[in-house]
Amino acid sequence: MDGPSGQDQRASAAGRPAARPPLRRAAHWARDYARLPGIPDEFIGADGEPRPVWNRFADTFAALAPTDIDRRFASADRHLREAGVTYRSPGDNAERSWPLSHLPLLIDETEWTQLSQGIVQRAELLERVLQDIYGAGRLVASGALPAAAVAGSSEYLRPVCGVKPPGGRFLSIYAADIGRGPDGRWWVLSDRTQAPSGMGYALENRLVQSRAFSSIYKSMNVERLAPFFEAFRDALRASADRDEPRIGVLTPGTFSETYFEHATLARYLGFLLVEGDDLAVSGDRVHIRTVAGLKRVDVLLRRLDSNSLDPLELDAASRLGVAGLMDVVRKGGVVLANMPGSGVLEARALLGFLPSLCRRVLGEDLKIPHIATWWCGQKSARDEVLSRLDEFAIEGAYGRAVPGFAASGPVLASELSAPERERLRAAISQRGIDYVGQEVVRLSTTPVWEDGKIAPRPFVLRVFAAATPDGWTVMPGGFCRIADKLDARAVSMGDGARAADVWVVADKAVAARTLLPGSDNVRIRRIAGVLPSRAADNLFWLGRYLERAEATLRLIRALAAQHRDPGKGSPAQLNTAERIQRLLLAWGAIAQTSRTQGARVADEALQAEDQFGSALSLLKSAQRTAISLRERLSPDAWQVITEMSNQLAQDIDDDDAVVSTAELLLEKLASLAGLAQENMNRAAGWRFLDMGRRAERAINTARFARQFGYDEATPEDLDVLLTLVDCQITYRSRYLIGPSLAPIRDLVVLDLYNPRSVAFQIEVLNEHIAGLPVLKENGLIERPQRLAISLGARLTAAEAAHLDGRTLFALEQDLLNLAEAIGQHYFPHGPNATRPEKLTGLA
Amino acid sequence: MIYDIRHVTTYEYESAVSFARCSLRLEPLSGDGQELISHSVDIRPRPSERTARRDFFGTLTESVVIDTQHRHLRIDSRSRVKLMRTPPERDAPCASWESVRDDAFEATSLGPSSPIGYVFASALVPVLQPVTDYAAASFKAETGIVAGAADLMRRIRNEFKYDPKATVISTPLREVFDNRHGVCQDFAHVMIAGLRGLGLPAAYVSGYLRTIPPEGEKQLQGADATHAWVSLWCGEALGWIGFDPTNDLVVGNDHIILGMGRDFSDVSPVDGIIVGSPKQKLGVAVDVVLVE
Repeated sequence: MDGPSGQDQRASAAGRPAARPPLRRAAHWARDYARLPGIPDEFIGADGEPRPVWNRFADTFAALAPTDIDRRFASADRHLREAGVTYRSPGDNAERSWPLSHLPLLIDETEWTQLSQGIVQRAELLERVLQDIYGAGRLVASGALPAAAVAGSSEYLRPVCGVKPPGGRFLSIYAADIGRGPDGRWWVLSDRTQAPSGMGYALENRLVQSRAFSSIYKSMNVERLAPFFEAFRDALRASADRDEPRIGVLTPGTFSETYFEHATLARYLGFLLVEGDDLAVSGDRVHIRTVAGLKRVDVLLRRLDSNSLDPLELDAASRLGVAGLMDVVRKGGVVLANMPGSGVLEARALLGFLPSLCRRVLGEDLKIPHIATWWCGQKSARDEVLSRLDEFAIEGAYGRAVPGFAASGPVLASELSAPERERLRAAISQRGIDYVGQEVVRLSTTPVWEDGKIAPRPFVLRVFAAATPDGWTVMPGGFCRIADKLDARAVSMGDGARAADVWVVADKAVAARTLLPGSDNVRIRRIAGVLPSRAADNLFWLGRYLERAEATLRLIRALAAQHRDPGKGSPAQLNTAERIQRLLLAWGAIAQTSRTQGARVADEALQAEDQFGSALSLLKSAQRTAISLRERLSPDAWQVITEMSNQLAQDIDDDDAVVSTAELLLEKLASLAGLAQENMNRAAGWRFLDMGRRAERAINTARFARQFGYDEATPEDLDVLLTLVDCQITYRSRYLIGPSLAPIRDLVVLDLYNPRSVAFQIEVLNEHIAGLPVLKENGLIERPQRLAISLGARLTAAEAAHLDGRTLFALEQDLLNLAEAIGQHYFPHGPNATRPEKLTGLA
Repeated sequence: MIYDIRHVTTYEYESAVSFARCSLRLEPLSGDGQELISHSVDIRPRPSERTARRDFFGTLTESVVIDTQHRHLRIDSRSRVKLMRTPPERDAPCASWESVRDDAFEATSLGPSSPIGYVFASALVPVLQPVTDYAAASFKAETGIVAGAADLMRRIRNEFKYDPKATVISTPLREVFDNRHGVCQDFAHVMIAGLRGLGLPAAYVSGYLRTIPPEGEKQLQGADATHAWVSLWCGEALGWIGFDPTNDLVVGNDHIILGMGRDFSDVSPVDGIIVGSPKQKLGVAVDVVLVE
C-alpha cells in the first residue's frame, strides 16, 4: 500500500541510472527530499518515482538560477503585502499578511476528474438531505438518520423548518476539506455547508503564483479558475426572481477574520459588499440603504453565520444581522446563499450515516470516502469507542469544541492523564450523543520550499462546488493549507500554517478565460449600481482624513522650517512659530505640555500615537476607513495608503528628517489624489470621496486664513499662510509687493481661480451635490444644497477689504455646519446613526 | 376551571421611537390539558403591518411593525382559557430516569414535542458540569423520573432565594447558580440545565399563575407577572409533565401555558427592536381571575 521509504528510493535511483531516461531534474530534487515513512506524498508517487506532473514542473523550475528563484519568491511576497492580502486570527487585532507557500500543489487532471465526481455526488447528497431534514423529515422518521445527530447541532434552525428555500435550494456553494489518506485515495475530512471561506483566497493565491511563475504557469496547461467563478455568479443571478438582480456579499464586518476575502469576492464577482446595518426589511423584501434611498436586494451571498442573521428569530444578542430577515426568507423575498441552517450538515455526528444515506437517496455508493467516524449516540458505536478509547481521536459531535474539554481540537485519550481519561470515559457514557470517535489519520505531504530546497509537509485541501442550473461545477483547484505540525487535521490559518495555490494540470492546452462576458447581449451601463450609505460615509471620511493629514503635514513642515531658518530667533518669527503650535494643539496633533519644548513639537505632531490629530493617527484613521472600502479601492491606492503608515512607523529624530518625511508623505498624498482624480470612476463613490476632501480643505483653509491672516498679521505670518495654501508662486506672479493682507485674503478665501481657495471648494461641493440623487419628493431644496449655495453666493459677493477675523470665524463655522449637513443627509444609516435597540425582556 | 387573563405590557421611551418591529407570543396554548376559549391583542400605536403564524413550537407568533413616531407602546392581551389537568402524584409509578434518557436519545422525530429537541444546550441554557453534578444528587441509580425531578425542584425551591432585584434577563446561568438567587425564569433555566446535563429532555414553559389562591392557601410566587417553569418528558407513557421550581409544585390547574420551547428566547412573550431610544422602561401587569 505504501511506497518505499526515502532511503529505498535513493538506492533505486542510484542503482539503475542506465535503465531510465537521463536523470531528470526532479530526481535531483528527490534525492534530498526526506519523505515521512508510511505516508503518501504528492511529489513522489507510490512507485517511489516523482509523479509525472511534478517532473514537468521541476524541470522548468529547477532550470531557474537560485537568485532568480529568490527574486520570484520575493516578488510574490511583495505582491501579497502590497495588495494587502490579509487574514485575521481569532483574537487578533491587527490583520496579518498571508503566508504563501511558494510551490503550488500539483494535481493531475485525470485524478482530479475522478475526485470532482466524488465531490459533485457529495454536494448533491447533502442538498437532498437538507431538503429532507427541513422538509418532509422522512430520513429521520424511517430511522436512516438519528434525530439526535441532527438536533444536537446549533445550526439546526427551527425557524427554517417547513420553509421552502427561495431560489429552490439550500446549498449554492459547498466545500469539503480533503486529504490523501494512507491508502493513497482522497478522503473527505469535513464538509463545509454553512458559508465556506477560501474561494477568494484561492483566487488571490492564483493571481500571485501565476505572476511570479508566469512562464511555468503558461507551459503547464493549468486549469483556469475564472470559468468556475463565472458559473457561480451566473447561478446566483439565475436564482433571483427578476432579471438583472442586485446581489450582495453579506459580511460580519472588518473585524471578521476573512474580511479581505469578502471584499475580494465582492469586487471580483461585481457584487455589493454589505453589512447587516446596510440592510433593512420593509414589506416582503430586503433593501440596501443607499445614498439614493432604499434599493431592493435579491440575493445575499452569506458570509455571516446563520445564527447571527436575525436578532428576532435567531440569536437575540446578534448585532450583525437584520431584524425580520427570516420573515422575508419565509415569504420567498430574498435568496440566501447558502440557506440559513445549511450548517447542520457540518456536524461530525452525521458522517457515519452518509454511506447508507447515499445508497438510499441517490441509489449509489459514495464515490469518495470520508474519515472513519463513530458517533457515540448509538450504543454499538459508543461501546466500540469506549473499548478501544486510546485508538481514537475524540471530537465534539457537532461543533469545534469537545464538550467538557478545553482544547478546541481533538482529544487524544492516549495523551490524557489517568483522571482525565476517566472523566472522558464518564462523559461519553453519560452523554454519548455529544461525542464522536474518529480514526487517527496522517495525511499525505507535499513539497514546500525551505532554505533553498524542498521539504515535505502535510496539507489539507479545500475544494469548492457551486450549484448551477445545469448541475454542480467544481472549482479546478482550491485552497490548500500546509501545516507546520505533523497532524494536518489541525491546520487552520491560525496556527502557523501557510497557503498554497493548487494547479490542476491537463495534458492538453486549456482555454484562457477571465471573467469577461462572452456574449453581446450585455446591457450597457455607465454607473456601477447603487452606493450603500455606509460606503459613501466611509469615502467621505477617507477624503476628510487624507485632507486633514495633508494640512497637518504642511503645518509640521512650516514649523520645522522655522526652526531651521538661519534668521531664527527674531521675535516676529517666534510669534509665527507660536501660532503654528497653537493650531497644532487645537487640532489635537500635540499635547498641551509639549508647547515649550521647541524642536520636539514637529516630531510629536508627526508621530505621536496618543494624539488623535497627529499625522500618524490621521493616516491610521484613513487606513482603517480604507479597509472597510477595500472592494472599492484600486490596489494602487491601497498600496500608497499602506506605504504612508509604514513610513511613519520609522524613527525620525531631527528637523531635517521631519521635513523630509513630511515632504515624502505630501508627495504620496498628492499621488493618491492624482489616482482618485485620474482613475476613479466618476460615479457617486468618487463624488463622496472628493466631497470629503473639498469640505475638509475648505475648513482647513478658512482656519489657516484666520490663524495667519488675522487683522494684525505680520509679514512672517502671511508668508507662512501663502506656504500652507501653496500659493507663494501665484501671489508673487500677481503682486510685486511683499505679503499684504487684503490681496492674500482674496487669494486664499475668495479667488475662484485658485484651486486651493475656500470659494473654489464650495463651488466644487455645489457641483457634487447637484449631481447626487434627490431623496425627497416634495420639490423643496435639500439642506446641504441650501447651505452650499448660500455660502457660495456669499463668497462670490464678498470683497477682501471687508473680510475680518469675525467674518472668517463665521465662515469656518458655516463650513463645519455644511460638512455635518452632508453627513446627516446622505448617511442617516451610516455607522454613526442610531442603531436599533432590543426591547428589554422580562426578568 | 375557566380563567380570564389580562396581560398588559408597556414600554416608556426616553426619546421618540420612529420604528419598531416586534414578535408577540401572547396567545395561550390549546392542548396539554388546557383549551383556549377567546383571545385578543390590542396594540397602541396601531401597527402598519401585522401578520401571524405558528412557529416551530406551535406558538402563535405575531409579527408587528410600527412606523409612526411614539414614546409609549402598549400591548394589551386578553384571553379566556379552560383548564382540565390531572397532575400525577409525586410518588406515582414511573420509568427510571436512565431509561427515560436512553429512550430520548433514540427518538425518531425532530418535531416540537419530540424529546430530542430538549436534551442539548440552548442559547440561554448551557450544559455545565457543576449544575449537572448538583442535579445528579436527586437522581441516584434507578430513581423514578417523576420522584427525581420533584426532588430537584424541591431543592431549588429551598436552596435558591427568590429575589427580583438580583438578576436581569442577560444574567448568565452560571452566575445564578453560583449565587443561588434569581426569579422564576432563572430557576427554570437552572433546573433545565441540570436535567439536560444528565441527558434528560427538559423544556422551558412560559405562562401565568392564578392571582388569587384557593381559599386557605397563600399566594404563589410570581403571580403578578408572567411566570416560567419546566416541562420534563417522563417517558412515552407519561409524556410531558410540568414542574414549577419557584413554587415547588407539580403543574396542575393553577398554571396557564403560553408556550413551550428550549429556553426563554424561544417563547419570550414580547420581543423586538426599536430605532430611536436607547433608554426604555418596561412595565408588565398580569391579572388572572377564576371565572368558574
